[in-house]
Amino acid sequence: MSEPLTVLAPIGGRALPLAEVPDPVFAEAMVGPGAAIEPDLGMSVAVSPVAGRIVKLHPHAYVVVTESGRGVLVHLGIDTVELKGAGFELLAAEGDEVAAGTPVITWDTAAVAAGGRSPICPVIALDAPADAVRTFAESGRVEAGSELFAWQ
Amino acid sequence: MGKAEDIVAGLGGADNIIEIEPCATRLRTDVRDASLVNDAALKKAGAHGVMRAGAAIQVIVGPEADTLASDIEDLLE
Repeated sequence: MSEPLTVLAPIGGRALPLAEVPDPVFAEAMVGPGAAIEPDLGMSVAVSPVAGRIVKLHPHAYVVVTESGRGVLVHLGIDTVELKGAGFELLAAEGDEVAAGTPVITWDTAAVAAGGRSPICPVIALDAPADAVRTFAESGRVEAGSELFAWQ
Repeated sequence: MGKAEDIVAGLGGADNIIEIEPCATRLRTDVRDASLVNDAALKKAGAHGVMRAGAAIQVIVGPEADTLASDIEDLLE
């Protein structure tokens, strides 16, 4: 077993169990276990949840892979691919090495909600076993950069 | 066969695919005949799951969706 990885909240808001995400792909942990955050409405800066390399960067989602090869997916809102980047501004580039807490994307959560989409943000331990994740805060308030879950 | 070929076959072949678009975790595709889509074959090809809404099929493949989609686009041309 490798060392547990502490995964930070990429945005501030209200922590939720992944099962409450209104998208079965995330709620049923099809791509991995994790946690979710319902953001405050307004401009939000999403940060890297771990130190590593940004291997995928979409306007609405990103994956950071750690030195030990673990990938964490941050998905900003549900069905937000349909916005084609409107309301999202990239602050980093694919391939960048980032520290945990480095700003990656600025987005307007109020605009996402006004468009009828959920701004809930799943944070996923990609391809991890279902029991590998222990959340620090199953519910309640989290800030960007605070500890969200441990990946065993 | 490669993964892209396997997914095209699982979706009922190139002629069955009207459109395919990646998002962060999945391939979103519209097919002509949803009955030709083989969930078991798609899972064997490496999909984590398949979601259906009529002829709109989502194949859950994880973050490699964008590279797989461009491989599949190449096969469809």
